[in-house]
Amino acid sequence: MHLDLIKILHNTLFGGLAAMGFGVLFNIGLRSILWCSVSGGLALAVRTVGLQLGWSLEAASFTAAVAVGSLVQMTQERIGMSRNILDVAGCIPLVPGGFAAKAILGMIALTAPVPKNPDQTLILSVEYLLRVFFTVGALGTGLAIPTLLLRVLAPKPQH
Amino acid sequence: MLKTNANVERASLEDMAMLSMEVGRLLMESGASARIVDDYVARTARGLGAERIDLRVGYASLAITIGIGGEGITRMRKVGHLGVNQRLDQALRKLSYRVERGELGVSGIRTELERLPRETPRHPGWLVDIAVGVACASFGRLLGVDWLGVGPIFAGATIAQSFRRRMVARHVNVFINAVMVAAIASLLGGWGARRLGSSTVDIAMISSVLLLVPGIPSLNAQNDILEGRPTLGSARAVTVLIILIFLTAGLWLSQIILGEGN
Repeated sequence: MHLDLIKILHNTLFGGLAAMGFGVLFNIGLRSILWCSVSGGLALAVRTVGLQLGWSLEAASFTAAVAVGSLVQMTQERIGMSRNILDVAGCIPLVPGGFAAKAILGMIALTAPVPKNPDQTLILSVEYLLRVFFTVGALGTGLAIPTLLLRVLAPKPQH
Repeated sequence: MLKTNANVERASLEDMAMLSMEVGRLLMESGASARIVDDYVARTARGLGAERIDLRVGYASLAITIGIGGEGITRMRKVGHLGVNQRLDQALRKLSYRVERGELGVSGIRTELERLPRETPRHPGWLVDIAVGVACASFGRLLGVDWLGVGPIFAGATIAQSFRRRMVARHVNVFINAVMVAAIASLLGGWGARRLGSSTVDIAMISSVLLLVPGIPSLNAQNDILEGRPTLGSARAVTVLIILIFLTAGLWLSQIILGEGN
């Protein structure tokens, strides 16, 4: 089993940067932005390792979301941020936005007066659509599991 | 009329309903899920002395019934555009805790609810634009864009975000805004990538529009459904879907202009 460390580091870095950018967009305070980076970097590191181990995109995304959800649930009170926003900032690099756009573009292409390779376009569009559907479902479920499990164990917030 | 634990003023049922719903409205508009809205509205209302609180969280409105003893009232409140503002969200939660502990009376809460949206700090617009540009360029690398395409994605997304900010300030319809922003981002990103000789122009165009991916609403939609509020979750999911369709329409327009994607 060979893991490409350069690829893992590359994806961790850019996952962290993407999460940081969205953290600023969500008006997260500058001191907390670092946590967005950590969360996004962790998500991409876990997903990349999963993919390199031969897992499907959906399985790797699910595992990454569980990792992010667990990290957020355990550290949220300490860093004083909304769980939802930290979850999203971390998982946003995992959202298959590219697949979603390709799927809808494929559907649009099918409505042309004379579509090119309609069978292939249809199959690709449906494949992309299913990947979006299952990956987004995997992200939501992966984030929800640690929240629901750890909520009962976590100390009540003192404000 | 009635107040049990405040140290300053007595809160009427009307005050309890309207002030706690104002907390809920601002939380909704800051990106909170229904569970959070429910939780903090109840804290606020209890802090003001309410004994029974029933809240209905809708996509565009909130409705609450507040009761003490044999008395009760029902009120409704309109909710505006659902955006994301983490620092306002946190400030509102802290305010709710203060009300729950009985530290603020009616006028104090009212003052804070007027002050917080106005004075909660925001990052400067230029910083947000650049951060969004960096995020989209990073998405580009994650999706496999070559290094030549990264700069144009950054520039396209930064300019598009600046445009989006200005349109939001002018209250332009969110879906129309999505088409225009997607068209500008992908046109600039794709054109620049092509000029620089990138071999991944099509992926660069897609990466440039990812600033529009509605991450918070899509996660809130799932959370709301998982937590037993399918109506609100479905409304959020439909909004996410429509934004994605409008985003793709903008991308499609720029593909036609640039002759890409054929």
